[in-house]
Parts: sequence; C-alpha cells; structure tokens
Amino acid sequence: MLQIRDLSVSFGRRRAVDGVSFDVEEGEFFLVIGESGSGKSLTGGAILGLNPSGSTRTGSIRFKGREMLELPERELRHLRGDQIGIVYQNPLSAMNPVIRVGDQIAESIIVHGKGSGRAAATRAIELLERVHIPDPARVAQAFPHEISGGMRQRAMIAMALACGPSLLIADEPTTALDVTIKAQILELFAELRRERSLTIILITHDMGVVTQLADRVLVMYAGKVAEVGPVETIMNQPAHPYTKALMLSGAMSDAPFKSVLQVIPGSAPTLDARPLGCRFNPRCAYAQDDCRATMPSLRPIAGSLAACHHPLVGFRHSELVA
Amino acid sequence: MTPLLELEDVTKVFGGRRAGATVRAVDGVTLRVGRGETLGVAGESGCGKSTLARLALRLMDATDGVVRFDGQDVTHLSSLGLLPVRRRMQAVFQDPLASFNARETVRRIMREPFNVHSLSPSGGIDAKIEELLTSVGLSATDLDKRPDEFSGGQLQRIAIARALAVEPELMIGDEPTSALDPSIQAQIINVLLSIQRDRNVAFLIISHDLDVLGHIADRLAIMYLGVVVETGPGPALMAGPLHPYTQALLSAAPTPRARRNQQWKRVLLPGDPPSPAHVPAGCRFHPRCPIVQPDCRTTVPVLRAVGPDGTQVACHYAPEETQTQGRAIAAARLGHDGDPPPTISPGQHGVLASGDRI
Amino acid sequence: MVVLSWLFVLMLVCFAVAPSLIAPRNPVALDILHRLQPPSFAHLFGTDEGGRDVFSRVVYGTRYSLGISAAIVLSAAVFGVVYGALSGVGPRWLDEILMRIVDIFFGFPALVLALAVAAALGRGLTSVAVALSLIWWPGIARLVRGEVQRIRERPHVEAARAIGVSPTSLIWRHILPFVMQEVNVRVTTDIGYALVAVTALSFLGLGAQSPTPEWGLLIRDSQDYFGSAWWYLVFPGVMIMATTAACSIIGDSLASHRESGVAP
Repeated sequence: MLQIRDLSVSFGRRRAVDGVSFDVEEGEFFLVIGESGSGKSLTGGAILGLNPSGSTRTGSIRFKGREMLELPERELRHLRGDQIGIVYQNPLSAMNPVIRVGDQIAESIIVHGKGSGRAAATRAIELLERVHIPDPARVAQAFPHEISGGMRQRAMIAMALACGPSLLIADEPTTALDVTIKAQILELFAELRRERSLTIILITHDMGVVTQLADRVLVMYAGKVAEVGPVETIMNQPAHPYTKALMLSGAMSDAPFKSVLQVIPGSAPTLDARPLGCRFNPRCAYAQDDCRATMPSLRPIAGSLAACHHPLVGFRHSELVA
Repeated sequence: MTPLLELEDVTKVFGGRRAGATVRAVDGVTLRVGRGETLGVAGESGCGKSTLARLALRLMDATDGVVRFDGQDVTHLSSLGLLPVRRRMQAVFQDPLASFNARETVRRIMREPFNVHSLSPSGGIDAKIEELLTSVGLSATDLDKRPDEFSGGQLQRIAIARALAVEPELMIGDEPTSALDPSIQAQIINVLLSIQRDRNVAFLIISHDLDVLGHIADRLAIMYLGVVVETGPGPALMAGPLHPYTQALLSAAPTPRARRNQQWKRVLLPGDPPSPAHVPAGCRFHPRCPIVQPDCRTTVPVLRAVGPDGTQVACHYAPEETQTQGRAIAAARLGHDGDPPPTISPGQHGVLASGDRI
Repeated sequence: MVVLSWLFVLMLVCFAVAPSLIAPRNPVALDILHRLQPPSFAHLFGTDEGGRDVFSRVVYGTRYSLGISAAIVLSAAVFGVVYGALSGVGPRWLDEILMRIVDIFFGFPALVLALAVAAALGRGLTSVAVALSLIWWPGIARLVRGEVQRIRERPHVEAARAIGVSPTSLIWRHILPFVMQEVNVRVTTDIGYALVAVTALSFLGLGAQSPTPEWGLLIRDSQDYFGSAWWYLVFPGVMIMATTAACSIIGDSLASHRESGVAP
C-alpha cells in the first residue's frame, strides 16, 4: 500500500531523515518508534507532504502506486483527509479554536465532496459516536477548548476518519494525555484496527504502545532505520543493540527495587554532530572498529531487517529482566 | 525523630473571593518525608501534585495548614528567613531547558547557588563545580556554553548538580524525568539513586509515571483531585494496590510484555478526571469507580490505616473488597503468570478483556 | 532591507554627530541670489527661499529631529522600565495605583495632550521634548509591566527562587534581561514614531523656530513654495519617511532575532 524508498528530508545539507526505506501493507498496524531527533515525525510528515519550510524531500513515496513526491500540491491536499487521515499529538493546537467541533468535522466532509450541509452534520455526530464520545450531539456543538483533552483527541480521530480514509497517520497521539486517558485512546485505536480495513501508522517514543498494538515496528535512530520487523521479533529477539536498549528502557518495572538500571550511555547525536560509521556506535556496547568506519546497511537478520554490523543473535527477552 | 519535611493538613485554594470560582487544588494533605528517604507522589494532571511540590518548596503560600522543615514551622517565613531552609532543600523541575536562564552560561548558572548562600568551598568554586558535574556523570563539560547547546539529559544532570551544590538534605523533584526520552529517563533515575546512596539525600519526587516511582520510592502517595487516596511503602503498594484508583493507574500502564499478553485484562476507567473546580460529593473518585456503592456518593471516606506497615487508604471498601483485585492487577501488570484478575461487579464499568468494546 | 536600514541609520548618526564634515554649506547663511534653485550638483536637494542649501539644512536638522526623538524615547524608556518593573513585581495595591495612573494618561488623546503641554511650556524644541516624553512613557511602562509578569512565571525564575535567589537579584538577572529584549524592539520602532511626532509639533509651529533647520519646520516653511519648488518639501519629507521605515524594519528584525530562551 505504501512503499517508501530512500526517503530523505534535508535542511540545507543536513539530512534529518537520511535514506529511509520501508513498506506498509494494507490493513497493517505499523509503528514508527524513535526518540526525539530520530526523524520519526519528519518521516510521517513527508508521507503527507507536510514538511517544515526550508526542508527538501528526496527519494520515493508510493501510496497505492502513485508517486507522492511528484504530486502537485492540489492533489496532495485532496489526498490528505480524503484517503489519508491525520491525528496529531496536540489536538488543541491542531483544531480551529473558534469553530465548533461538529462543524470542523463536517467541513472536512464537505470539502472532499462526501456530502453537504445537513448530511455532513449528521455524519459528524455519527463519527463522534463512533469514537465513543458520550452525548455526541452536545459535543458537536462545543468549541474545542470546552471539552477535555481525552475528548478532544477522540474528536480529532473522528475528524481524521471523516472521509473514510484507507490510511491513518497518528503522530504521538497519546503523549500529551494522562495515563488512564491514554489507555482509553489506545483501546480506541485497537478497536479501529479490528473493525475496519484501515491501515494505521502510529509514530511514538513510547515502548508500551508498540507492544500492545503493532503488527510491525520500525525503529529509527538519528535519521536512519535501525531495525524493522514484526513486533514479536523486535520485542523478543531484537537484532540491533539500540532496539534492545529501547526495550530495556521500557522494562523498568522488571528491575529489582532501587537497582541500577541498564542504560544506553550518552544521548542521541544532534543533526550537526553525527558520528562516522554506524550512528549508534558511540553509545553501543558492542561497537567495534568497522562500526566506527562504515555505515551498516539494512539487511535481513533472524526475522527482521537490521542495520548493524554485529547483530545480537540469540538475545532473549528473559535477558531483559536484569 | 522529627521528619525532615512535614506537610500537615495543607490546603491551597486558587481563585477569587467569589464563591464558586475557587479551586481547591490541594485539599488537606498530610505527608512526611524522613531523612534519606524517598517519597513518591503520583497522580494525573489536575490532581494537585505539582501544587503540592510548590507548597513544600514555599514557592507558593499555603491557604491553610502547616509546612515544617526539620521541625521548624516554615509556613509563613519571609524570603530572608527562608534562606537557611532553602540551603537544605533544593528543587529539580520538569523542563530542564526552561528552568535555566537561557542567557547565562553554565558556569554562571552553576555559580549561582554558591553566590546566593555565600559559600566558598575549599579549592574554589570552579573546582567544586567540576566535582559536582562529575558526580552526576558530566565530566569535562564546557562551562562557557549556554543551556540550549546541551541535550535534555545533560541539562537535567546540570540541574541536579546545581541542586547538590549547597549539599541539601532534601531534594524535591517535580516530574524530573517526564520531559526526557525513555533511554535518558533511566540515566537520570540512576543518577538520583546514586546521589541518594552517596549523600543520604531525602527525595520528594512528584511524577505521573508509576514505573519510575515504583522503582525509586520507599513510600508512595497517590493523589486524586487534591487529596491523598492511598499511601504506603512503595514496593507493597505496587504489589498490592488497595484503592480502586491506584489499581486503575497501575492497570493503565502495564509493562510491554504484559501488554502483549492476549490474556491480559485491565481496568479501564470511564470518563475523564473531573476538574478540581467541580469536586464530586462523597468520595471524589466515585463517578469513575468500578466498585462504586450508594454510600460512596454521599460519605467522604477518610484516609485510615489498614496495615501495620503504614499503609493508609481512603476507600470505604478497602482493603476487604479490593485486596484480591489489587494483587491480581499488580501481577498482571508485570506480565507474571497466574490467575487472571477476577471480574468484579458486572456492568458498564469494571474489568474489560482487551477484545471488549469500550 | 535590514542591512540597508542599518546603513541609513548609520548615515543619520554621522549627520547628527558631525554635520559640519558632511554638509557642504552653512545651513543658515542666506544667499538670496540662489533662492529656490532646483537640485543640482552644487545643491543636491536644491535651495530654499533664502537660497540656503536644503541638503545642508537636512544634514544639520538630523541632530534636532532625530536627536530629540531619540532623547524622548530613551528617557521615556528609562522611566517606563523602572515604573513598569515596580508595578510588575511590587505588591498588588502598588500595581493597582501605578496602572490607574497609566490609564489616566491613556485616557487623553496623546497628541492633544502633548500640544497642550507644549503650548503651556512655550514654543521651542525643549518643550516639545518634555511634552512628548510625558506622553511616551506610559506605553513603555505598560509593556514592561506585562512582560515582567509574564517572565516572572517562567520556570527558570521559579527554579532561581527555589535556590534562594534574592528578589532584587531575581529582577536584575532573571527577569529584566528578558524584558529588555522587548523594550529594545519597542524603543527602536518608537524612535521612528517619535520623529513623526516631533516634526508634527514643529510643523504646527510649537517646536523648533526659524531658522533652526529642523525637518518638520523645513516642511512648514516649504508649504508656500510647493508649486514652484517641489524639492524643498519632498526631500525633508522623504527623510522623515525613510527614517521611520528604517526604525520599523530594524525593530522587526530585532524582534525576530531576540533569543527568547523558551517558547512563550
């Protein structure tokens, strides 16, 4: 459904996203995970043709066989919302504060020619009901700031679903939410995925989200793909040392009380200070000379694709319990 | 022995004199932090935990109640009178970049506590600064850089080093790891653990992240809408939460392994936390509680001791009717094998299998 | 544009500091034989009704027009910053009183108030300067008070308080430097507006008196000859316009380059 090849997003000479390739199958729940500065959000934005000013995209993004990078802005705009839905981290800033929630949803239905006037308004209320908003008719009449954060995120999802898109891209949809609300929204995503033939790409830094929902996971580090594969492999047999370290950081509860936690030393490199060779090498416990010299390319390793010269073989989840 | 920090029945009311426009952000909270001990305060946004940190730090004045530091009543001390207390009690905040003066170099930032408290360590301030930075894992730092040239993790280490400059006995952290990437969070937790081990500093850590608190807190207090609903020894509370709200919090954030477990069930709370401006009558948690009974809507449960280990819980039906469920949830959260948590009252609330509709 | 504006302002500063080195002629010396000459190499901006070189008069006038404007805004800024900072950090009752006083100033139409004050003090550039300073400071005071209250809520100020930093040091080190970024922007743009006000008052006859080569006065004097000697009016007018524009452009560039520290 979505085929991305050698995608780069650059600011001048600096490549924030650097040669990323992956495929997303129809109906798949695909997760992009990475820490801040990994380029995960830029990758998501690139698919939608929404990138910050001053950046350039190269490579290829094929959505249902059409090359997105060559589409004129007019067609891209039509594609967004109609075929591709978007959910942002902060619904309050993504919604227009002076338009009622229901009208915002209806507007996107009307703009894409999927209905008009009263039909669109009725559809908006149906959509709000679909995302389990209690009393949808009342919420439709409310302004975004009048409803709670959890409700807003649900309304945002309803808006993304308004035109029946086949692909939904969600960028950190739960990060700004409280734990109990986060659980509700994740449950909604799980349900959406069960109910309809919707392909979902979810971008996050939260390991918990990965394991609960995903079919496949793409791990990004410093603008590159570190590893991509089925969630079971990523969780239980990660090939890339960074993937393993990320998994460890999500398993804090498994460590004995007050014990020293296993950590990745240092921090991710900034755009200007990326190391030679493998970008993870200064922080990697397994780094050798070739890691410092040459950049590893993505290759199949025990069930996943990983960009590592010395992949971990036979690593088991039991090791995660330090 | 007198506790190091003591909050007694502390209340903070925001808003005007008009009735109805006021918000009781913190409503009669009593907490103690002993020497060398870590107290974790958990809760969701709007529960008053950050206000509590500011009250303890005397960055805000309490509307009611008493704040004591080492036995001394500091509730109404002036900023001059507070100076000796501030030397013994330091703070680390959530956003490390915003909590530094962006126009100053790290050297100036690090010198500030020495200047404020007129400290002149033997060997000179600069040598001491380097020693402090090394102790938080930042050796060979370029002190002439400005905050925006450092990563979030480095800045949080600098913030901790600055707090350590005055050799405090208590450090109050308001979401000290929340703004950081997961791999950096673990680093900061290790730093906190090591300085506590080496310097016997007491911590009051405020966080929404039970994973973090469960790992470091000797004692935990769970807040909901301005009140403490449960408190007790950290490991015991994590292994057997008694209040239905604590159970829901724990259940909402299981380990990755437990999440993947298809058998795993969890408590899904309906609705949002109500705003502190509209506190429900009776038990504040009753509109979202899975085991709510008629008297919960009318009678306010008081925080009462339920065990010899100091566990206290504010629920009419704890521990008798919540204990089993609590243990099951705690075990399931860790992905431990064993019986799935029993279903409590059927109905629209309650335990959901992962396949159920919300 | 920004570079051009800076160069223009630099030129004006040279005019104001050392007019005698730049102006080819005496700005007040009459030369009736050459009255109302159109622009030429001898007289870049032409001559006026007294045969005086308009260019030289413009160059000498910079000191009066721009100098007075800058003095007005700077003195207003000094007073406004102190006043606004007091209001911003002081107790509530003080803030109330100080801001009510500002409100009173805002209640009057500014230029009418300045006119009245200038008229009461008598004609002359000094009374213009006093009058305009009097109406200028409340805007800056209000800006400073708002900024102080905004910056005061920033986490770094809270962090400094938690360390035990004294209230005075909080203001000087952790609040005012950020406030001054805003004030700098405001002052730069305001100098342009003050120039318009100064020249306007001179134009109305309240400010500089003949034969002082003040820009507003030049325009006033040129009115009678507009039909026959366009240059006499146009060049001083262009100077006022260009100066105001340059101040605006520089102010905007300062606004976009200020290091805000954290997002507001």
